[in-house]
Amino acid sequence: MAMLEVTNIHTYYGNIHALKGISLTVEQGEIVTLIGANGAGKTTTLSSICGLTKPRQGTITLEGRDLTPTRPHDIVSLGVSMVPEGRGIFARLTVAENLDLGAYSRTPNRQEAEKDLGEIFSLFPRLKERYRQVAGTLSGGEQQMLAMGRAIMAHPRLLLLDEPSMGLAPILVQSIFDIIKSINQRGTTILLVEQNALMALSIASRGYVLQSGQIVLSDTAHNLRENEMVQKAYLGAG
Amino acid sequence: MKPQIKSSLNAGLTFGIVTLFLYLIGFTTTASQIIQNLLKLEPESKVLGMDALPFSFALFLGLIGLWAGARQARAMHKGQSVGVVLGSAVLTGLVHGLIVALVAYVTGSLNASGVKLNTYLSQLLPASVQLFLFDQPPATGAFLQLGFLTLTSFLGGALVYGLMASDIFGRLAAAWRSLWSRVNDLPAVAKFRASPAFNYVAYGLAAVFLLLLPLRAGQYWNYTLGTVGIYVLLGLGLNIVVGLAGLLNLGYVAFFAIGAYTVSLLTAPSPHGLVWDFWLVLPIGILAATLVGILLVVPVLRMRGDYLAIVTLGFGEIIRILSKSDALTWLTGGPKGVNNVGGPALFGRTFDDVGYLYLIFLSVLLAIFVTRRLQNSRVGRAWESMREDETVSRAMGINILRHKVLAFAIGAAFAGLGGVLFAARNQFTGPEDHNMMVSINVLSAVIVGGMGSIPGVIAGAFVLKGLPEILRELENYRVLAFAALLVVMMLVRPSGILPASRRKFEFQSGDESSNRGGEGSAK
Repeated sequence: MAMLEVTNIHTYYGNIHALKGISLTVEQGEIVTLIGANGAGKTTTLSSICGLTKPRQGTITLEGRDLTPTRPHDIVSLGVSMVPEGRGIFARLTVAENLDLGAYSRTPNRQEAEKDLGEIFSLFPRLKERYRQVAGTLSGGEQQMLAMGRAIMAHPRLLLLDEPSMGLAPILVQSIFDIIKSINQRGTTILLVEQNALMALSIASRGYVLQSGQIVLSDTAHNLRENEMVQKAYLGAG
Repeated sequence: MKPQIKSSLNAGLTFGIVTLFLYLIGFTTTASQIIQNLLKLEPESKVLGMDALPFSFALFLGLIGLWAGARQARAMHKGQSVGVVLGSAVLTGLVHGLIVALVAYVTGSLNASGVKLNTYLSQLLPASVQLFLFDQPPATGAFLQLGFLTLTSFLGGALVYGLMASDIFGRLAAAWRSLWSRVNDLPAVAKFRASPAFNYVAYGLAAVFLLLLPLRAGQYWNYTLGTVGIYVLLGLGLNIVVGLAGLLNLGYVAFFAIGAYTVSLLTAPSPHGLVWDFWLVLPIGILAATLVGILLVVPVLRMRGDYLAIVTLGFGEIIRILSKSDALTWLTGGPKGVNNVGGPALFGRTFDDVGYLYLIFLSVLLAIFVTRRLQNSRVGRAWESMREDETVSRAMGINILRHKVLAFAIGAAFAGLGGVLFAARNQFTGPEDHNMMVSINVLSAVIVGGMGSIPGVIAGAFVLKGLPEILRELENYRVLAFAALLVVMMLVRPSGILPASRRKFEFQSGDESSNRGGEGSAK
C-alpha cells in the first residue's frame, strides 16, 4: 500500500475549478516532485492533502486511512506536515517560539523537545545562533530553514514542501536541496512542489507534471529530465 | 541657491503658514486665553508692562518662534558651523516673521478702517486681530511681530545648538547609567537582586501601596481610580482577544453590559424584585457574559479582520438598543435603566468607596495573574500564531475554532466581571453606560498602552480614564489638550507607552539590518 494515495480529487475556490481530477501516489521513503507553471494547481494539491482546502470529490488516503473528512489539525497529528509557500513563518515570534509551535501537535516533554532541537540544529546550525531572535529579522534563507525546521518538529512521516527555493540566492538553493535530501535519508517521505524543475528532478525519484489542474505526465525523475516536452516547457531547453 | 538657505526659507514658509492658519481659525486667541488661565493671571493685571492677554499671546507666539528656530537648528546641526546653524535659525525666523507681519499688517489696517473681517472668516473677530498685533497700531504691531519671531527663532536655534554641542542629555544619561550600574555591581546589591527576597520585597511594597492608597486618596480619587481599575480589567480582557489572538472586537462593550445588567436585574428591587446576594450574582454575571461571548463567536468564526470588526460593532449596538427598547422595558428597565443595584457586603458591612476600590484592585490582580499564565501557555502560543497567520497555524496543527472561542470567552468573562463591579459600585445601570464609546475607549487604552503588554494596558487605562480627570483643571479645553496629548504620544511612542517586547521592533526602522545575518554566509 502506498503511503499517500490521492485519487481523482477536484478542488474548488468558490466557482473556480482549481484541481480537475488529480491522482498521485507517494511511496514510503520516496521524494516525489510536482512540477508545473504558475497556477497549475501545485499549491492547491498540497493544501488539499493538508485539509486546508477540502476537495469536493475524490479521496486522499494516508496509509489506507481516508483524510478527506479529517480536520487539518488532526491531519498534522497523523504525521503530515507542510512547509507553506513563501515560508509562512510567524514573523513576530522568536525562532524558539516558531519551533515550539511546530511541535504543537505532539506536546513533547522537555527531554524530547531538547532532543528534537538538537536534531534541528544539526541540520540547520544557523538556527542555533538565531534561537532567541525574532523570526521576522532573519534573512530569507534563514527563514526557509526555520520553516523547514518547524515542520520537522512535528515529526512528520510525510513532509510537504511548497517551493522551498522561492526567492533564494542560487547558492542557498543548492544547500536547501542538500538538506531536503538528508531529511529524506533520515526516513521522512517527501512530496516536493517546485518551479525550479531541474533542481527538483535532480533529487526526486519520481515526478508529476501539472498543467491547469490536471496531471499531464508522470514518470521517473530521470525520464522526465530526458522528456522533450518537459525540457522545452520547464527546463529551458531550446 | 545654497541648500542651507533653501531649507531655512522652506522652514520659515511652513511655519508662517502654520501660524497664519492658527490665526485665521481664531486659535491664537483661544491659546492666549488658555495660557492666561493656566498662569492664573487676572484679565486686568499687567505683566512686564503688558496687559495680561497680549502677554499670554506673546508667550504663545514666542513658543512657536522657539520651536521654528529649534527645529531648523536641529535639521542643520550635523556638520555645520555655529554661524551656519544660527544664521539659518535667524533666516527661518525672518521669513516666518515677514509672512506673519505682512498678514497682520493687512488685516490690522482693514480692521482699523472698519472692514468687518469676520463676515468673511467667522473667527477673525476685531478683538482677535487686535490681539494678533499685541494691541498696537498695525505698523507697530507688524514690526513687533517680525522682530519677536526673529529673536525667538534665534533663541531657539541657540538653545538647541547649545544642548547638542554640549551633549548635555547624552552626558546626563551616561552619568545616570554609570551610577546605576555601579550601584548594581555592589556585591550586596547584586546578591539581593538575585535572591528571591528581592521579589518579595518588591511585591510587598506594591501591596502596601495598594492597601494604603484607597485610605488616603479621598472619595473623588477613589472613584476615579476605581473607574481606571475597571478599564484595566476591560483592557486586559480585550488585550487577550485583540492583542494575543488578533481578533478585532469592536463590540466588547456588549459583554460589559451583560455583566452589568445581570447584577442589576438580580439584585435591584425593581423591575423584578429579586434581591439576591451580590456574591452569588457575581459568578452568575461572569458566566452570563462568557456564554454570550461563546454564542457570539459561533456565527463569526469564519470571519477575519475588518469583517469581524463590523459584526462585533453591530453586536455591541444591538445589546445597547435592546436594553433600552420599549418592548423589553419589562425585562431591562428600559431607557431609565435600573436603580438601587445591590452591592457586596462582608461581615454585615456594606462596601464604601474604599471597599470597592479594594475589590477592584483584587479583580485586576486576578486578571493580571490569569493573563500572565495564559500568555506563556500552549494556549497563548497558539493565539499568537493565529494572530500572525491563521492558515499557517492551522497547518501547524492548531485547532483554530477552539482557540477563537476560548479567546472570546475569556475576554468576555473579564468584561463581565468589569460590568458587575461597575454597576454595583454606581448602584445603577442604564443603556447609555454601554454605548460604543466604551468599546472604543478600551481599544484605545490597549493601543495607546502597547498591544499585548500587561503594563501597557494598565498605563493605557490610566492615560485614557485618569488623565482626563487630571486635566479637569483646563475646563473647556480638556478634550483639546487630551487629543493633543494622544497625538503626541503616538508620535513619540508609536508602538504604545509600554509595548510588549516583541512588538517594539516593528516600529523601529534602520536598526533591523544590524540584526540580519548575511545570506551568503549561510551554508
